[in-house]
Amino acid sequence: MNYLAVCLNKILEVVVTILVAALVFVVLWGVLSRFVINVPSRWTEELATQILAWISMLGAAVVFRRHEHLGVDYFFNKWDPQARRINEIIIQLAILVFASGVMIWGGGCLAWATWNSGQITPALGFRSGLVYLCVPLSGLCIAVFAIDEIGKIITKPGEEW
Amino acid sequence: MESQVLIVVVSFLALLCLNIPVAVVIGLCTLIVMLSMPEVPATYVMAQRMSNGISSFPLLAIPFFIMAGILMGEGGMSRRLIRLATLLVGGFRGGLAYVSTLTCMLFGAISGSATAAVSSIGGTMIPAMRNHGYDRDFSISVTTTAATTGLLIPPSNIMIVYAVVAGNVSVAAMFMAGVLPGILVGLLIMATCWFLVDGAMVQGEQMRDAKPIDADPPIESVSRAQVVLSALPSLLLILIVLAGILGGVFSATEASAIAVLYAFLMSFVFYREVRLQDLPNICFRTGIMTSGVFLLISTSQAMSWALAYLNIPQTIASLMLEVSENRVIVLLLINAVLLFVGTFMDMTPAVLIFTPIFLPVAEKLGMHPVHFGVMMVANLCIGLCTPPVGTCLFVGCSVGRSSIASVTKAMLPFFVSMILALIATTFLPFLSLWIPQLLDLL
Repeated sequence: MNYLAVCLNKILEVVVTILVAALVFVVLWGVLSRFVINVPSRWTEELATQILAWISMLGAAVVFRRHEHLGVDYFFNKWDPQARRINEIIIQLAILVFASGVMIWGGGCLAWATWNSGQITPALGFRSGLVYLCVPLSGLCIAVFAIDEIGKIITKPGEEW
Repeated sequence: MESQVLIVVVSFLALLCLNIPVAVVIGLCTLIVMLSMPEVPATYVMAQRMSNGISSFPLLAIPFFIMAGILMGEGGMSRRLIRLATLLVGGFRGGLAYVSTLTCMLFGAISGSATAAVSSIGGTMIPAMRNHGYDRDFSISVTTTAATTGLLIPPSNIMIVYAVVAGNVSVAAMFMAGVLPGILVGLLIMATCWFLVDGAMVQGEQMRDAKPIDADPPIESVSRAQVVLSALPSLLLILIVLAGILGGVFSATEASAIAVLYAFLMSFVFYREVRLQDLPNICFRTGIMTSGVFLLISTSQAMSWALAYLNIPQTIASLMLEVSENRVIVLLLINAVLLFVGTFMDMTPAVLIFTPIFLPVAEKLGMHPVHFGVMMVANLCIGLCTPPVGTCLFVGCSVGRSSIASVTKAMLPFFVSMILALIATTFLPFLSLWIPQLLDLL
């Protein structure tokens, strides 16, 4: 599990970096084409919003891995080690419930239903379901990370806390 | 329906206290509410709201402003801005406090991030102020509160978020509306410094002969013209963005992309402080910061959909108007609620969740949505500096190595000045509306 989580995180980091670079080029191209070549392109706007959705969702998984999502650690810092450990597990369980219930299940249904509806995006001609795929995929990664964290907490000996 | 509201509030606070990430807390609360609505396929609709909530062209400006901020901040922007501010206001008594305020305002505006301003400016200014005999907690308070003005002064990501959720206001109007209130907050903070500066000097006034700010190269060796010239390109970023949007040349999103290009050219070619091999890391950091914000946006959008579905905005609106039809009382009430919310909720979700609830009330009282947005941001800026959840306060305390409790005490007079500015912003519509009207944006 840990090996899987580490690999997954590495891959996500690379993908997010590439997507951000791509986003910059796509939008700049959109601006340049409007001002320099004077042909406003519709596809850049559409592609950019789709890339943005992928960055936000996949990046969110990386942020979970790095424990950088905003939280209120006021009480957490006052717990004794044992309580803190239980609290940690509750946090990861909450993340797991959210990732699997909403993102994997709900997002999966959404992507599946939209894909099957055969809708096509206006400018690019992509299947509309494609962009929703980022939700269950990200959910899957977040779930893997959460399970890995729970594993780490349980196997860590108590004194180190 | 009352029971549902109660469930949301109680579960929200309980989950929050457990240090669960705020975005997940909002998501889980929304899930609970949606599961109580039998006619709605809860998880499906939530996933849909979450992904549609972030696929919007105006929101695209956020990652770009973040990236421009990182590119500009990476090099010596904080050093150059501090030098410029020293030249402008450093000569006065208690000069360093004003330098710190002014630099935070400029840096916050350019980088669009209050926390970035606290960490980069605070990192230099707080130790410098300590060396000159200023009280540590006083220095942290000045830096932290002044940094929030960057959220009012354009370009500002939170204004974009508000424009998207309010619907019928333009980003350009919001940008211009924030200028005067932002400057007002800054001036009031400086005024507070002026009052406090004698009490804040622990070892008496020794700043005249103390070592000047630790800048490289030393401040004295640089001529005035050089100071201004080297800081100018950073400030020009604001001008390019604003002039572009106002001239109708680009949309806010396009302007943000131009800002990235400009910041890249400046830091890469002109200042030569960013190297080619730094770029992947800058892209990655942009992605991470963006997704942190956007996960909050997406779950908040889902929650605000669920609340709208339950007619909660209308219910609260009629409840508030039942209490009083008086404009002053209702606005004070809204501000009080937002101040309370701001203490424990981060700015982005607060704007996303409470705009649909309070904006209809304000509009019914004849308030312009642009004015309301500025008021809301000015209000929630205060929350960024208050415990239990104040991102700026946290950063300030960690940069300045002090405890939240003692800094909060030192911050009280600054809260007073921020609240004064908030009251002015609330009841003097022209502060927000004058510039947009002048530029024909309303």
